[in-house]
Amino acid sequence: SVHGAARLNALGEGSMCDSRSVRLTESVFFNQKSCQTGEVAMAEVAVQSRSSRDAAVQTDQSAVPDVQQGACVDDSGVLAFLRRVEEVVIKELNKNVTSRAFDGFDVNWTDQNRTVLCLHTLSYPEAQDQHLQVTGVSWNATGSVVACSYGRLNDGDWSTEKSYVCTWNLDRRRLDPQRPDLVVDAPSSVMCLAFHPSQPSLIAAGLFSGETVVWDTSKPEDPLMWRTGMTDDTHTDPVYQVHWLPDAKHGNHVQLLSASTDGKILVWREERDGRLMVAEGFALVAQQIPRSAQLRKLVWGEAAVGVTSLSFSHFDPHVFVVGVEGGFSLKCSTAADTPAPCRTGGSVPLRAPAELAFSPHSGPVYSVSCSPFHRNLFLSCGTDGQVHLSSMLQTQPLISLQLSTKYLFCVRWSPVRPLVFAVASGEGDVHLFDFEKSSQKPAVSIKQAVDECPVYCLEFNTKQTQLLAAGDAAGTVKVWQLSSDFTEQRPREMNHLEQLASELTD
Amino acid sequence: MVVNAEGIPIRTTLDNSTTVHYAGLLHQLTMKARSTVRDIDPQNDLTFLRIRSKKHEIMVAPDKEYLLIVIQNPSE
Repeated sequence: SVHGAARLNALGEGSMCDSRSVRLTESVFFNQKSCQTGEVAMAEVAVQSRSSRDAAVQTDQSAVPDVQQGACVDDSGVLAFLRRVEEVVIKELNKNVTSRAFDGFDVNWTDQNRTVLCLHTLSYPEAQDQHLQVTGVSWNATGSVVACSYGRLNDGDWSTEKSYVCTWNLDRRRLDPQRPDLVVDAPSSVMCLAFHPSQPSLIAAGLFSGETVVWDTSKPEDPLMWRTGMTDDTHTDPVYQVHWLPDAKHGNHVQLLSASTDGKILVWREERDGRLMVAEGFALVAQQIPRSAQLRKLVWGEAAVGVTSLSFSHFDPHVFVVGVEGGFSLKCSTAADTPAPCRTGGSVPLRAPAELAFSPHSGPVYSVSCSPFHRNLFLSCGTDGQVHLSSMLQTQPLISLQLSTKYLFCVRWSPVRPLVFAVASGEGDVHLFDFEKSSQKPAVSIKQAVDECPVYCLEFNTKQTQLLAAGDAAGTVKVWQLSSDFTEQRPREMNHLEQLASELTD
Repeated sequence: MVVNAEGIPIRTTLDNSTTVHYAGLLHQLTMKARSTVRDIDPQNDLTFLRIRSKKHEIMVAPDKEYLLIVIQNPSE
């Protein structure tokens, strides 16, 4: 209602309205309206690419500024300079060659650690309750995570017993040695293990069933990334060695290689939906093994030669050494192209890689290792308790060491000291050999396990060179810290190694 | 290898990446050595620099415009 409205009539005379009598009720109309957009049309559509192509981009290492070869340089100026300094420099060079000033002079930059001590004793109680043994250890690309695989090495049956792969991050402050950071279940016994050389979370494993699997440890809910499955191509025997192989054709790519006692060495390629397919393969067949006149005549035939271990040369990406059940070490090449007779159907033709057979051990070879410092040297050890240091240039070993009355399970060169290697024995010892100190007996023998519990595997840590991990049959992995003698290269070590390698007898 | 006053290698017998690495580092070190010598005695100047390491010996012959760097394996 409107109160006190002054009203002006047409003559301009205002007259006051009595607010009481005027009651202008303006009826307020309420109108309810609602608004609605018209039907929104919705449709559900799924999109699926039917064809895909893989493309990879990679920067090359060679983006290095080139040495300017005289582009804007005063050649005569350089010549004059060289003439001036030539005499002085040659005098100094000659002095150095004959100088005895630095003989026996060694400098210590780091604190010298005199003893070997056990830093960690890691185990997984559930696996130990099942009496599983540690069959493989591996350090990851950054050197801070150690992984071990549980399985059985002394049991030969086709059990489908589940086993485990456990990882511990040693740089974590609250490291619990009884509780691994990650436990991955494996469908059957894991026989060997290898971390990817540059991606710190990928780990490959070979199983008793002949399968090869790759897990991604950064995805704890579903770590399985790739598996070979059980096809005509996969191994029919346990896989005893897996190895990540730098792919020569694709620059920085790596491929996965697996070796098994069925005589096949297969190179796997990653396909879609988590499958691994065979890219190429090699087969070792007894009749194709090259025989040297000095080797004893043994029973041959078309029998497959079971591969128990493998090591690639650090100098030539095509050359690798293989240890077989018959006790031989073989020098092989990935570039070989003689085809191998294929007994079972496979999609990829297999080739015979063997080029040279070395003098055998008196029992299966369990481990071979190529030297990271010399292109021709490699070590092999086996059930005869001997370690052979051999050169790829001759069939007889350079040095044969009888280290144990029991089996020797693993031998590895040190990544920092050219003359040092470590051996895992069936008596529970890890022997560290230093050719500089003695070529007959170990420099240090570490007692890992009591009661003749064999040590099955060991690995040096390439990033933290004082660490050595070893796994034994009691299901524990011990991380040893080595004394400083084992972590720094000595001044004349390379020369000593060259000398050893050149003592050929043939 | 021969390196000019700015630390850029001009002539070398090693591979490119090693050369560039050595040139950059040794040029800086030579300048530092030279300023050290002149700091101690302004009348003095650097004539030759030798660095002995576990694996080899590096020799640097400096000059106003260039540096000559030689790497030698000591005899046994």
